[in-house]
Amino acid sequence: MNFFQRAIRYVRRKPSKSLLLTITFFLIGNLVILGLGVSQAAENAKVLTRKKMRAVVSYEVDYDKFWAYVDSLTDSDEAEKAWNNSPKIDRNTAVALTDDPRVVAFNYMTTNVVYGKDVESVPLGNEEERGNSDSSYVEPNLMIYANMFPDMLELHEGTYTVTDGRWYNQNEIDDAAPVVLITEELADQNSLRVGDTLTITSTDPNDFKNNAAAYTNANVTEEDTQFDLEIIGIYSTVENVDPNSESFRWMSPYESPKNRIQMPMTTMADIMVSTAEISSKVHPEWYADLDLDAARENAMTPGRIIYLLDDPLNVDAFVAENQGRLGEYTKLNANNDTFRKMARPLDTMSFFAGIVVWIVVVNAIVIISLVTALTLKTREYEIGVLLSIGVSKLKVVGQLFLELIIVAFIGFALASVSGSLMAGRVGDMVLDFQTTSEAQYEEQDSGYVFVNSTDYFTSVTQDDLLAEYHVSVSPLLIGEIFLLGTGVVLIAIVIPSFMIMRLNPKQILLEQN
Amino acid sequence: MSTILKLENICYGYTDGSYKREILKHLSYEFEEGTFYTILGPSGSGKTTLLSIMAGLDKQEEGKIYYQGEDIDAMGLYKYRRNKIGVVFQSYNLVSYLTGLENILLAMTETDNPIPKNRTELAYALLNMVGIADTKAERMVTHLSGGEQQRIAIARAIAGNVDLIFADEPTGNLDTATEQEIIRLFQMLSERYGKTIIAVTHSNEVSKFSDHRVLLKNGVLNDL
Repeated sequence: MNFFQRAIRYVRRKPSKSLLLTITFFLIGNLVILGLGVSQAAENAKVLTRKKMRAVVSYEVDYDKFWAYVDSLTDSDEAEKAWNNSPKIDRNTAVALTDDPRVVAFNYMTTNVVYGKDVESVPLGNEEERGNSDSSYVEPNLMIYANMFPDMLELHEGTYTVTDGRWYNQNEIDDAAPVVLITEELADQNSLRVGDTLTITSTDPNDFKNNAAAYTNANVTEEDTQFDLEIIGIYSTVENVDPNSESFRWMSPYESPKNRIQMPMTTMADIMVSTAEISSKVHPEWYADLDLDAARENAMTPGRIIYLLDDPLNVDAFVAENQGRLGEYTKLNANNDTFRKMARPLDTMSFFAGIVVWIVVVNAIVIISLVTALTLKTREYEIGVLLSIGVSKLKVVGQLFLELIIVAFIGFALASVSGSLMAGRVGDMVLDFQTTSEAQYEEQDSGYVFVNSTDYFTSVTQDDLLAEYHVSVSPLLIGEIFLLGTGVVLIAIVIPSFMIMRLNPKQILLEQN
Repeated sequence: MSTILKLENICYGYTDGSYKREILKHLSYEFEEGTFYTILGPSGSGKTTLLSIMAGLDKQEEGKIYYQGEDIDAMGLYKYRRNKIGVVFQSYNLVSYLTGLENILLAMTETDNPIPKNRTELAYALLNMVGIADTKAERMVTHLSGGEQQRIAIARAIAGNVDLIFADEPTGNLDTATEQEIIRLFQMLSERYGKTIIAVTHSNEVSKFSDHRVLLKNGVLNDL
């Protein structure tokens, strides 16, 4: 008849008390299950949505902060000085961030529109809608994607696949080699193959035509504005324009991913600097302050660096841990602000559910402590008897603990069943209440966009996020309830234990006798 | 016969405000093995206090108690109570939510003394020995009469395979007939099984049948 057997017999033979305690634990269990269920469902929804999102972080200029700073300047000279020294991302910092083991690939990339000589761009399919109001105007038909490092994010993710030839390498980047890769579609459209030459210019052909005299005076021929690039590879891309998008109707050919050409950033910088040099000769009045080094630096300074991480769930930690390494007015953007705003109803629910759980747990500890302490008075005699025959106080406490654990586990087991049945419905009700009482998030225009750049962030809506919200009672949650219950009982037994430790068997038994 | 329990210079008193009342004054006594003792004395003489101290339920202020030559304080009072002694109280002091049988098994489980493996059979045998039938052994103790409960209490006291049994007014709540039966039980335990019984009592009937009567007066024990 050890203390475990005694505990079982006590629970069985004191049915009223056991039933009351079981009901108490049952109610506590239900509240905790619902609270934790809602909280976990909210967290799960966020995690699942996060997992669906691309694991990308952008290192970029924090224009909101910079503009706020400039607006705060009252002196116009200071403001102008600030404008002229607009913040830029730091190349060393950008490269240093790639040391983080979570970074899988990154794009240190700039883009530019150019004109392909005798190149017919791949049609978008909007030509009829778009029409052509001014047939004499020549618009850029190609978009350069130029990277400082060959291991592009798109190659890693499988967005691009080299189907013929090869990608450019680091040596070609370092040497500014005149090499280029074009898409399969562009190659087919123009019957181009690996080894052929693609001729491009970044000088506006419209300007060349309209100001022909100025070019002649500056002794600049059309050939001077052109650059021959060796096609070293042809690649396929899974990207395409969305014909259902609002902007599709107005899209220019160069906006199609099929009309992208890939080259080393240094090569593109050479083209840009050369173009600037030519422009300064043709239009010296426009380029009086031209600084070619600055022009090269500008061409080689991306608006933002995109990092691809190994896991979408590592994004927040990456941002938090590396934010301190950045200079002023730059930031790591994981599109978190949007996500946070979308997740606000879930966060609010999770917060209140957490508070409910804590209140219930604290109340449970108080109630169980009180019940145990009060019933202890009626059990002093029994404890005195046990102590008189040499049962240690620790075993007496152990028996009390086991008695509570037995009824707690019965209560929690019943609560797991009822909680499972209720959780889904209650969770939906709470979400309905929350979403109707809190205005749905509508994405706001941030005020600035990165021109001609790929949107690397996965677009998710609040509906996508809320669709992932499912309150259910998982085995893990049930395990947590039992663990929490054990903790509650352990804490609740502390005060009664002190009371037991102070008991004197002689005193108890003599009083009884 | 050898000494089973030796009291040496025991002192104990109560403090009532600034006044200290000394109950036991340098009390010394030796109890022999296999003897049935009764301790008599006027009300308030400290009989129950002395029994509590001897049973390890309370601690003396001064002096030593030796069980078979071993200091019980050094042994540890829990261990002493668990392995060396059994106590029978006036109001039986059984665990109310257990049956008679389970109360016996409880004492058997707690002791460190060697107990045969067939504990349940042994418990039934013990209960039969004190006059409790098997059917009554399986009843909750609260459903038994006072005499039956006291018999179970006596069986529990010896269930831990101990040689020394203390009894505090063991027949105080019983009628005369039952009192006789309990006295005979103590006699049997002493004579047949060599147990030492030390009973505190007001009852002349009980003391009349004991082997040795001791008077507690003025804080000391004297043979009668």
